[in-house]
Amino acid sequence: MNDAAPGTRLTPAAEAGRLLLIAMAVTAVLVPLLWIAFAAFRTPADLTNPGSFAIDPTLDNMRDIAEGGIPGAALRSIIVGFAVTIIGVFVGALAGYSIARFRTGGIPLRFAILFPTIIPPTVLAFPLLALALQFNLSDSLIAVIAAHLTIVVPMITWFMTGFFASVPREVEEQAAIDGYGPFAAFWRVVVPNVLPGLGASALLAFMMSWNELFYALVLAPGSSQTLPVAISGFNTFQGVKLGPMSAALLLTVAPVMVLSFVIQKRLVRGLGGSGVKG
Amino acid sequence: MLSPDVSTADPPRVGRLERLAGKLPFRWWMALPLVLLLGIFVLYPLGFSFYLSLTNYKLTTRNLGYFGFEQYNRVLTDGDFTDSLKITLTFVIAAVLIELILGLALALALQRQRFARNVTRALLFTPMFVAPVAVGLVFRFLLNQQLGLIPNAIAKLGIHIDFFSPNFALASMVLIDVWQWTPFMVLLFLSALESLPKAPFEAARVDGASAWLTFRTLTLPMLMPVIGIATVIRVLEASKLFEYVFVITNGGPGGSTESLQFIMYQTGVRFFRLAEASAMAFVFLAVLALPIIWMLRQVRKAEG
Repeated sequence: MNDAAPGTRLTPAAEAGRLLLIAMAVTAVLVPLLWIAFAAFRTPADLTNPGSFAIDPTLDNMRDIAEGGIPGAALRSIIVGFAVTIIGVFVGALAGYSIARFRTGGIPLRFAILFPTIIPPTVLAFPLLALALQFNLSDSLIAVIAAHLTIVVPMITWFMTGFFASVPREVEEQAAIDGYGPFAAFWRVVVPNVLPGLGASALLAFMMSWNELFYALVLAPGSSQTLPVAISGFNTFQGVKLGPMSAALLLTVAPVMVLSFVIQKRLVRGLGGSGVKG
Repeated sequence: MLSPDVSTADPPRVGRLERLAGKLPFRWWMALPLVLLLGIFVLYPLGFSFYLSLTNYKLTTRNLGYFGFEQYNRVLTDGDFTDSLKITLTFVIAAVLIELILGLALALALQRQRFARNVTRALLFTPMFVAPVAVGLVFRFLLNQQLGLIPNAIAKLGIHIDFFSPNFALASMVLIDVWQWTPFMVLLFLSALESLPKAPFEAARVDGASAWLTFRTLTLPMLMPVIGIATVIRVLEASKLFEYVFVITNGGPGGSTESLQFIMYQTGVRFFRLAEASAMAFVFLAVLALPIIWMLRQVRKAEG
């Protein structure tokens, strides 16, 4: 009742149009995702007959990718994702608190944080590749982790600044009275107040890393490829590969979709807290 | 200006370092990891990248000798880069415009949605969480002329479209981008809509204003700041078009989908000419300077 849209009522025709728009949008979102999930369990014969919805459920596609490079790539993506998330949450939470409470670095630091996320990735990917070659780190996960940190850490810092700003200052004042130093007050008193935000930032960080193609493709195209690089190899696109490709896509997309449902509410709050709302 | 008298003080080096550590305030200790990370992984590579663009560095020879502005000369006079710039701009304008209008319409529609409210929202937000490379492959399959669901469905209506033919390939890239990123617009607009003050809308209802009049005179003006920010974010993101092209058209057919990001990858990684690719990246950055500066000004405004 209180969350009803403000303002005037719609005419019946406008209301019908509104419902039609939502129905079309839901269909447009669902059909591609469900079609791939469906294709992951179909046989090559069914898949190459486009008019058909026939399915003779099979796990052959899953077996096929289990024997190829996909599981290793998924494992490397998990390793990169965890490393990026752990380092990112540590660095981003400390800096976010400092910026929220003391405006540390002022506007120049805010600019420096935003900069790597808005520039085209080629600006950083090529020098990072040349440096990786110099230090014998090309085609290694370390290079990919470093590159992902340049986009993930700013995102976490940005979100955490918003979450820390919403913690009342009295919390630290009370902690100071109780004899905590600034570090102890941060760790023991402030951080527990922002755990939901920290969790959402961590999930988002993992998802960004898990989905990222360009840096991973430039820095680790060979034996260290991550999952997005590995599935991009399906671009040769032979009819017989459709099943395994769908299975690999399902494996890539499903975990992220589950996580996205968890974080959406927090995401809206994080955006509001960082002043993106304008 | 308040530095201690250096001529009389001569403490041992370690002591000086310790005093320095004590002088670094708590807030800078907290920001130190971030500053170090930005310095090592952003600022240093950025400077190195610029130097790289002044060399003739190739992945095969790795020669870091100074070469002058030759690469920039080549990039700006060679037609490939300007063609690609045109393709990218066309893509960006079309995609962002459609996402803006569709996103606004959907946000307004969702704001009034009561039935299955949270599920509908969560569902409509999902595309932006999917890996763009996966989205590209999904649509490559879905829009494929022989095997795809969509061309076959519309063929039954008598419409025959090859989505990846020279005339349609770039439009198909726009379509895919709209599928994936309209939800981002919806997310921003919806959270802005729900934080608008209620009173003016109540007054409009009491005055008997129509929904359209309320939208035009109240909602739209109040949403303008968010619309601006959402547009600039999307312009900057859409200009990085790469994944769809990489897994679907590989720049073709006939170069019709060679986005900037794609030709930079092609030049730097496939043709080994990293110096030239770096020069392209800096020219590209200069093209993006306007939206980037606008964006940073908004940050300064938000800071007060």
